Amino acid sequence: MGRTMPSITQAFIEEQEAFGRFRRALRRSDQLALDDLFASARQHLAAAAYASHALPMETFLLSMLLEQHKQVLHLRAQLEALHKERDA
Amino acid sequence: MLEVAGWLLDLYDDPQDEVALWLLAEDGRRLRLRQSLALTFYIAGEERMLRAAQDYLRKLPLPSELFRTRRRDLFLPEPLDVLAVRSRASDQAALFRQVASRYPDLTYYDCDLPLSLHHAARHDTFPLARVRVRCAEDGEIFELQTLDSPWEIDAEPAPLRVLQLEPDCDPSHAPPRALLARFERCSYRLPLDPPRPLLINLRALLVRHDPDLLLTAWGDTWLLPMLLELSEQHGLPLPLNRHEEREVGLREERSYFSYGQIVFRGQQVHLFGRLHIDHRNAMLWDDYGVDGVLEAARVTGLPVQVAARNSPGGGISAMQIRTALQAERTPAGGILVPWHKQQVERGKTALDLLRTDQGGMIYQPIVGLHRDVGELDFISMYPSIMVHCNISPETRLPQGLGPSPEPPGLIPQTLAPLLEKRVAIKRRLAELPAWHPRRKHYKAFASAHKWLLVTCFGYLGYKNARFGRIEAHEAVTGCGREALLRAKEAAEDAGFCVLHMYVDGIWVVRPDAKRPEDFQPLVEEITRRTGLPLALDGIYRWVVFLPSRLDSRVPVPNRYFGVFQDGSLKVRGLETRRRDTPAWIGAVQMEMIEMLARVEDAERLPDQMPALVELLRARLAELRAGRVPLEDLLVAQRLTREPGEYSVPSPAARAAAQLAAVGKHTRPGQRVRFLLLRGQPDVHAWDLPELPNPERLDLSRYRELLMRAASSVTQPLGVDQAILEAWVEGAVPVALLEPAGANPPCMPR
Repeated sequence: MGRTMPSITQAFIEEQEAFGRFRRALRRSDQLALDDLFASARQHLAAAAYASHALPMETFLLSMLLEQHKQVLHLRAQLEALHKERDA
Repeated sequence: MLEVAGWLLDLYDDPQDEVALWLLAEDGRRLRLRQSLALTFYIAGEERMLRAAQDYLRKLPLPSELFRTRRRDLFLPEPLDVLAVRSRASDQAALFRQVASRYPDLTYYDCDLPLSLHHAARHDTFPLARVRVRCAEDGEIFELQTLDSPWEIDAEPAPLRVLQLEPDCDPSHAPPRALLARFERCSYRLPLDPPRPLLINLRALLVRHDPDLLLTAWGDTWLLPMLLELSEQHGLPLPLNRHEEREVGLREERSYFSYGQIVFRGQQVHLFGRLHIDHRNAMLWDDYGVDGVLEAARVTGLPVQVAARNSPGGGISAMQIRTALQAERTPAGGILVPWHKQQVERGKTALDLLRTDQGGMIYQPIVGLHRDVGELDFISMYPSIMVHCNISPETRLPQGLGPSPEPPGLIPQTLAPLLEKRVAIKRRLAELPAWHPRRKHYKAFASAHKWLLVTCFGYLGYKNARFGRIEAHEAVTGCGREALLRAKEAAEDAGFCVLHMYVDGIWVVRPDAKRPEDFQPLVEEITRRTGLPLALDGIYRWVVFLPSRLDSRVPVPNRYFGVFQDGSLKVRGLETRRRDTPAWIGAVQMEMIEMLARVEDAERLPDQMPALVELLRARLAELRAGRVPLEDLLVAQRLTREPGEYSVPSPAARAAAQLAAVGKHTRPGQRVRFLLLRGQPDVHAWDLPELPNPERLDLSRYRELLMRAASSVTQPLGVDQAILEAWVEGAVPVALLEPAGANPPCMPR
């Protein structure tokens, strides 16, 4: 089956591989954090495919930010709940 | 017929003697011998031109033997057809000059090499080698046999007679009034004025002691030129040379650009039949002294007077030339030494450039205080890589870190014995107790070797180096980065946290690793994965990696200090290590670090804070009371251009301008020493004839510099410059800090 464009999963794997040398030179603890980031971007591959951006890495970076921001919102809500519990 | 054994002091070409050799005979005599030595240089090029050059040379009045042969040029795949020109040693320079100016387009080889290297290639000699010669009554040598080698660790030292001679003060600072001379246990003071008795007394000293080595201060730049001029004016000859028919050799001063810095080399005075070393003009003197200079001469084969003043780069280049010439005696035949190298870099893609055109791997350390940190260093990493991976201009570039299938190239052949000697000496040093008298020699040797090995790498990438090739240079750094990453991976696999990596060193920590044997398995594993020798440099009780001066969140690679378990200190990149820092500031900073170093348990470091504040108060009180000697407040900065070329003159340039106004000229690359003053002018050059009024010293500026240096030390304990100032002024009482929670190493997940 011939494709003119690589599939989004292929593009994602290639982009991730392109950072192999960067990853190798990181401390182990940072390597694991980086892997988390890439893993989080995978959750939005379908949206990235639909966007068919000329530079897919930008979409992946935005996906990472998106997941980070969700985490921040989540943690903030938890923290507020804890404060309320304590002050109550 | 005579047979004499002794040490070879020096050799040089001479119009009468052809090659003049000075021998320190075992019976104490100093003999000038002579030897004939035919030297050959080679010419390559277009056949028609080569034939024309051959005809031209045949018609010259200087006798030479001309013949065709084939020899290897390392930068060409096939041996080359060359015209060989053989002549007396003393005629070679003239022959070459004439033919090269007539036929500048031909390629010349082996034509401008130091005579000592030709001699070394033929007779295995080197400076201060033990030799046995058989010669005629008139000194003509029939046979010369070298009895030892530069690679011996405990060669019998030559019994050099050393006369020390120096003025009673720095002549660039004030006019000296007398010369101080010392020979063994006798000291003499010779007033400079009047000159006649000075010359007569000095002459008597030279004749009585007949020194082999004249060790001077400012002998190149001031003392010997001044003495020669006096001796001329008064018609009193001074036997500085032992070889009386020769004139003293003068070489001019120059400034040049090297490794991003302007370097200044002063004028040089070379003697014939004696050695002259000016320790103020000797490269790296402070690092290795006379022992180191002699060792550098022995291993490089360069005459002592050249080796003393040469940069280590010149030394390593000489070693390579010797290897190339010595190949003459192997089945593969001699290797041509290019005169002007004409070799260009091959084309590279942008990605190639991105990947290869890098230096060593330099990490950002985890800033802060760490305990029980092991520092592991690759031993002479770059040279080891060159030898292990066989990296040389003529060999195929290595893929990865593996050994090479080809026979060793020129560079690995040159380096291998030096590396071996260095490792053997390091091992010997580790075994010897601290009081042992040989330690000093070994240390000097080790540091001479270190500089040669360090520069060897640079010379591989220097386009003007005779055996340089940029791709080989890049291969070395590439292998270095690979080795360091493998070391990091091995450390992390073994559960260590990597705090820092710096070119050839790696700092690791693991909560349960505290003794050398805890790190030993890692050392072995890294050696196994890289094939390169590695050693545990030491275990720090505690070490502090400092952040950038400008932004405390940004780590900088080479600013740290720490204490090893044996109590010794290691300090890098701090003010106390910088040569432009006033001695007083460096000393106080060092005092502070030493106070901290006495604390065994890093948790107790903050307890020292009141004592540190007391120390700073006491030192500042001394400054205000004028009890700090002016010399200790000198700032020493290097001029980076001619004083007139600055658009905004730096303090150093302003000081240089003051010197120029009294007729003392400073050149780019020279350091200018000055004091900081209040008002105008705001600097005072130290080498001005008069001293400044001490009341004009800019004490607040010195205080500021001191507090800045002090806060580098206290900052890791959570005390920045502002808090420290408040404490020192007494505005706020010194509050004891929380015990320093040594940094959590790598973040656990």
